[in-house]
Amino acid sequence: MKRFPILCASILALLLAGGRGASGSDIVIVGEGGSGKVTISLKGMCPGGGAAERLFYDVLERDLTRSGWFNVVDRTAATVLVEGSCTQSGGRLSAVCDVKNGATGGRYLSRVFTETPTASRQLAHMVADAIVEAVKKVPGIASSKIVLVGSKSGKKDLFVCGADGADMVQLTRDGTPCLSPTWSPRADNLFYTSFHRGFPDVYQVQLATGQRSRVASYPGINAGADASPDGKLLALALSKDGNPELYVLQLRSKKLTRLTKTKFAAEASPSWSPDGRQIAFVSDSTGSPQVYVISSGGGKAQRITFRGNENVSPDWGPDGRIAYSSRRQGRYQICVYDPNTRGDTSVTEEPVDHESPSWAPDGRHIVYTRTQGYRSDVYVLDTSGDAEVRLTQFQGDWYSPSWAPR
Amino acid sequence: MKKTIVSAVFGVVVCCLLIGSSGCTSVDEELLGADGDVLIPLGVDGGGEFPLGPRADGLPGEPVADVAFDSVAFLYDSFQIADSERGKIEAIADYMNRNHDVTVYIDGHCDERGSREYNLSLSEHRALAIRAYLISLGVAGNRVLTRSFGEEQPLDLGHRESAWRQNRRGEFELYR
Repeated sequence: MKRFPILCASILALLLAGGRGASGSDIVIVGEGGSGKVTISLKGMCPGGGAAERLFYDVLERDLTRSGWFNVVDRTAATVLVEGSCTQSGGRLSAVCDVKNGATGGRYLSRVFTETPTASRQLAHMVADAIVEAVKKVPGIASSKIVLVGSKSGKKDLFVCGADGADMVQLTRDGTPCLSPTWSPRADNLFYTSFHRGFPDVYQVQLATGQRSRVASYPGINAGADASPDGKLLALALSKDGNPELYVLQLRSKKLTRLTKTKFAAEASPSWSPDGRQIAFVSDSTGSPQVYVISSGGGKAQRITFRGNENVSPDWGPDGRIAYSSRRQGRYQICVYDPNTRGDTSVTEEPVDHESPSWAPDGRHIVYTRTQGYRSDVYVLDTSGDAEVRLTQFQGDWYSPSWAPR
Repeated sequence: MKKTIVSAVFGVVVCCLLIGSSGCTSVDEELLGADGDVLIPLGVDGGGEFPLGPRADGLPGEPVADVAFDSVAFLYDSFQIADSERGKIEAIADYMNRNHDVTVYIDGHCDERGSREYNLSLSEHRALAIRAYLISLGVAGNRVLTRSFGEEQPLDLGHRESAWRQNRRGEFELYR
């Protein structure tokens, strides 16, 4: 899949870039985050003396730590050594990057990355992802984007930010609520529900052009749109036939297929499986909202959640696991269901609300809404055990995040 | 001994129920959230689906200003119309059966708790449950439209059961 095209406005990126605690560059973290981490040293990476180069170095260090796969340590304690330089010349910022195994001398990566001098952060994200991919053979997330809803202006608008919460850009100014944004599989389009024209309709935004079109405006609600892995279909909830049901819309032909038929229940929140064969969704046909799975061609739905008196907002992750929000002891916790074992694990436990989870492309991290004292912010958790990280640091409420695929 | 413990626990639960939201909110919420294992069919003839008519952008005429109707209240996570609320819908049906040029919008709403996406579906289901009842009372389906907002338009911005109760509602807007 294509890398997400750096979203508009490097100007806006600049406005926000410095804000998020570029901590001292000599921090050494030893032994934190438990076993299974690879020790890595950036000490052989000599940044030039300028601000752009130093910012690159700080962001790279933070990205590697946030990836969850590395402990950034001193040179003598490291298994993986990053050597090279970051210098600015001729209107370009270049990172020469040589990544080796300190013990065996084996080389993971040897590459030169370049960006414009104002894009230190993006350059660092590129290098961090390349290191993660070369050493751990898994997708990096540093360059990936997150779309979310924010009420900074008092209205509920769409925003897009980086995986570290920086480079926040406002996308909509509708003056009416925006709901549940999701990405197209190539991360070049967004789908969301807006009351822009008085009714809940599904809109598509082409990010490169900013062009918006209404893709579903049937009578009643049009909501929860999620694009199929091949990008050709949209699963969504419609009520045009008399109550909220699940449908699949062919984006090109506009042909509509109804998947559920539950006269006395409401359906919501579809999420495609990575192979496009199944769809997870919410139905309240038993009297409380629970997560079900149905073949994307229709058929009999199978309930997969049995603990917690409400189970909502399923998100089918890239490795096949389904994250959802489960109401237990009066609080919403993020849970992960594994279709192979049919078991579920709670990955949050604090007595506050954790809602609307969305998997990162690495299948390890989950972005979600954390609500405490009726204030909502967006956080990232690590299913392998690292501490949660808060992404939004602004006034207003921030919620309904969706992590872009890559 | 075991029996004593059981009845003691039962006593506590009953007390919590009686105290309601003031002392023991979570128990109250759990019970409300778990309601509805038995689903009451919509409408008089066992319910059914009444497909919505085509939607035109813009409002179906001028707002009717000389009458107002009470909102219909709902329990948490429920779209069932309680017996106490039926009279409100019957009043509208009565008005609409006497005023054939009137079209109604039913706006469904939820309280702030729970998934926003599910709440949008639930609020629409509330509006459609009211619509089904209106249809069963003789109002033509093409005169009853829905426009649901999930939890996006609370009446009361508070975070207590008293606010939530106000916000779980179906509102009526009449046009002529």
